[in-house]
Amino acid sequence: MTPASRIACYVVLTIAALITVVPLLYMLSLSLQTEAETMSADPVLWPEALQWGNYAELFERAPFGHFIANSLIVAGGITLAHLIFDPLVGYVFAKFRFPLKNTLFLMLLMTLMVPLFVRMIPLYTMMSNIGWINTHQGLIVPFLMDAFGIFLMRQFIQPIPDDLIQAARIDGASELRIYAQVILPQVKPALAVLGLFTFVFQWNEFLWPLIATTTEEMRTIPVGLTLFNQEYFTLWHLTAAGSVLLFLPTAAIFLLTQRYFVRGITLSGIK
Amino acid sequence: MAAQPTRRQLLRWGGATGAAGLTGSLAAGCGAGAPEQPDGSGGSGDTFTVYWNAGHGYPAYEEVLTEFGEANDLAMNFQKYQWPDLRTRLLSDFASGNAPDLVEDASWAQEFAISGDALSLQPYIDADGADMGYPDDWQETTLDRVSYEGETYGIQLHLTCVLPFYNKTMFDAAGMDFPETWDDLLAAAQELTTDSVHGIALNQDHSYAWSWLLQNGVQFYDPDSHELLTPRDKAIEALQFQADLVHKHGVAPVPTPGTDYSGPQKLFSAERAAIILTGPWDLMPIDESSPDLDMGIAPALRNVEQACVQAGSSMFIPAQSPHPDLAWELIKTITSLELEQRVTEETGMLMPRKSWAESEAVQSDERLTAFADAFGYARDYSTQLRLTGKSGEISELFKTLYQDVVINNTPAEDAVATFVSAGEQVLAG
Amino acid sequence: MTARYAITAYLFLLPAFAFFALMYYGPILNILSNSFHTGPQADVFAGLDNFLRAFADPAVHNSFAVTLIFGAGTTLGAIVLGLALALLVDKPLTGRVIYRAALLVPYLTSVAIVGLLWRNILDPQLGILNRLLDTLGLPTQTWLTTQPLVTIIAVTLWMNVGYTMVLFLAGLQGIPDMYHEAATIDGANASQRFWRITLPLLAPTTVFVSVMSVISGLQAFAQAYIITGGGPAAETDLYIFHVFNVAFSSRDFGYASALSFLLLLVIIVFTVLQLRAGRRGEVSY
Repeated sequence: MTPASRIACYVVLTIAALITVVPLLYMLSLSLQTEAETMSADPVLWPEALQWGNYAELFERAPFGHFIANSLIVAGGITLAHLIFDPLVGYVFAKFRFPLKNTLFLMLLMTLMVPLFVRMIPLYTMMSNIGWINTHQGLIVPFLMDAFGIFLMRQFIQPIPDDLIQAARIDGASELRIYAQVILPQVKPALAVLGLFTFVFQWNEFLWPLIATTTEEMRTIPVGLTLFNQEYFTLWHLTAAGSVLLFLPTAAIFLLTQRYFVRGITLSGIK
Repeated sequence: MAAQPTRRQLLRWGGATGAAGLTGSLAAGCGAGAPEQPDGSGGSGDTFTVYWNAGHGYPAYEEVLTEFGEANDLAMNFQKYQWPDLRTRLLSDFASGNAPDLVEDASWAQEFAISGDALSLQPYIDADGADMGYPDDWQETTLDRVSYEGETYGIQLHLTCVLPFYNKTMFDAAGMDFPETWDDLLAAAQELTTDSVHGIALNQDHSYAWSWLLQNGVQFYDPDSHELLTPRDKAIEALQFQADLVHKHGVAPVPTPGTDYSGPQKLFSAERAAIILTGPWDLMPIDESSPDLDMGIAPALRNVEQACVQAGSSMFIPAQSPHPDLAWELIKTITSLELEQRVTEETGMLMPRKSWAESEAVQSDERLTAFADAFGYARDYSTQLRLTGKSGEISELFKTLYQDVVINNTPAEDAVATFVSAGEQVLAG
Repeated sequence: MTARYAITAYLFLLPAFAFFALMYYGPILNILSNSFHTGPQADVFAGLDNFLRAFADPAVHNSFAVTLIFGAGTTLGAIVLGLALALLVDKPLTGRVIYRAALLVPYLTSVAIVGLLWRNILDPQLGILNRLLDTLGLPTQTWLTTQPLVTIIAVTLWMNVGYTMVLFLAGLQGIPDMYHEAATIDGANASQRFWRITLPLLAPTTVFVSVMSVISGLQAFAQAYIITGGGPAAETDLYIFHVFNVAFSSRDFGYASALSFLLLLVIIVFTVLQLRAGRRGEVSY
């Protein structure tokens, strides 16, 4: 890269990063303002005195510790399940030939095309019949795998050269072993993306936890946060503080997955 | 599912021990659909579920519920939601055969009476009405809005209405009293509008439009002629008047479409609006953000007549409630004069009992009296429309109509014509 | 591949499809049957009434048009911006991890919070943006009132651009360096390398991003539910927001189910078209 184009890259990226980050700094500012400051008609950019007490108030006014624990259990459990199931099914659609493959794949994608609230009531009825309402398994099981993750893995497994798989088969490796030792190591960036996005989706999911929990102690953070709204106005200082807390784990997961964004495909074994 | 027949006598306190049929599943949170106990009493460690608005989870109610649970050997589950979430939750419950025991609702009693999801409270009222003061001690305007085919399905819990709030300092400086008619209001707003102050700020939410429509004698739905927005010319005039405040006279800002009601209040608090129309829910935010503001609450304006929009929630018992008799006992406790007065003292919330409005505590409070005096001409503009069972669709259309006129400045006559033809299709459908 | 591999494939797929049958296809069939019924409990048979009503309903036409514009805007924007940013943060720049993190930050926040935040920022009367513009002596904006649909498209892009960037980044890292090296030796310049090597080899990722953006764009909901309430005058009445109101505010589950089904058909058509186009564009090593 020439020095000029390097500088151009930095300028563009810095502008883009400011646009994405500054509004969220405002959220941080809101979380440290007094109630009166957040209600003011002339919005306050940065509070007079930092109100760290807003964060303590979250835990005083609601069982916020429960909300955090539930969110971690549910989003964490679902993410683990996705990392186990999605790549396997994606691999089958990427590398196997079998009758009805395209039809089955489209049927799989169909599951993404109906919004949750439309299927929510049959799902709720089913869960209530087996007594899983207000349980962690009731929050986790409907989301054990999904077409988003399967489709993502299929797209990333497809470019892996068939020769790699053939070579392993000639060596007498079992299908599961090929999957675990040949395929998975090649798609680390995709697995990182899958883990990150699944966690973010589930961590912020609102509608199902709203319907599937019946006590305050079982609520997740997004549902719990609605307790801080009054009938006609939002308690911004608390909502913003809750949002900042909501954001921290997803940021941590991102930093964890960062190290897997490396050039993945090794072309060893291809003659 | 057919509604279970309910026991039509008064529940005897204490000693109520029904063999709990599905206690296990009750604890798991799916107790509804369980056959009701022969005496409808439950007890014996059952879960008793109450759905409530998250903004109304007052300490007084928390306390009453705790005591109620202890007295009846119930595990109380007090679930608080925002209105839209509460409704989503409730409809999902109904669709899957579940139901909570008692629900605070936002004008849904008639709708659920029609659909068979709400329990008629008439037998209970016939038995206990005299003791609890229902209906005699409730403001007359709160009775029809919870009735269907001559029976009562809900009991008013809170009562509020929308009145003009005005900045006294600005009016005094201009040497004006608060106006009583539309013409005077327009003159006052023009007088008070400056570069930095709007004479009046209108709300983006369409329900606030009804202050003007009611003052012009407009009915949302006329059950006799089956027409919407009658008399039509008065409806057009009232909508156009609001749009003109914004676009023609420039005395009001363009409302921002959205899901937030607090815009006018914030302008008012910041002394950037001289007049707003709102209810007692904005008192706390105004006091909180502008403690020094000298504020007046005026009686409603009049054009054809004096009127204002009635608001406030009620309570109903779902037809599938596992403990309807207990739920009724709880309603009686919650609506007692003593508790109403305590909640008002703690939170400033206004109440539907006549004896509350006449009480010393209310009469000695200027703000509370302003609202209590208006209860006589406060109206629920949707009562007749809800009985058609099409209130949801028509309200959506009306929201579009209001925003089209007041935000987009579409002539009211054209927008009303569009609304009426679409609305008639819905009513016929 | 022989029949043996087909059997292996079916064995791997069986548990997955059993799960989807239980959690998705069952409920979806239930919805299909609902769409032929009417009434608050959706228990009165209505034949094709709901579908006929949908074709004649001006509010549905409006929200469908609004949603097509929204879907097109968010999909094209997400692909172009996401790919451009991915190419930038794929370069060996110092601090690129920080840039990646910064660009992804909005996506890590929940859409509900993003909605509330932007409602707060953009309000013409009370928002912080106009306060800043005013302080700087610049003209203030009224986008939520004058350009509501463009505004919620922009907010959606603000939120999602980091997400598509990360997907493209993962795709770029799947392209072996040797192709670029070979092309450089053959004398191809940077733009030729991009159009002839990078873009064709990124096809699987591009197909994925585009299919997923269309599916989620046509089902967008929170932007209307939280920021605009569908207004002004239904100009941002996103289709699924409209359906949600039919279901939960009008309590017409039959009509809502029929409307959901019609959208399902539309999305299937779009998806098949994109997968076909993608298959033509795929390259194998």
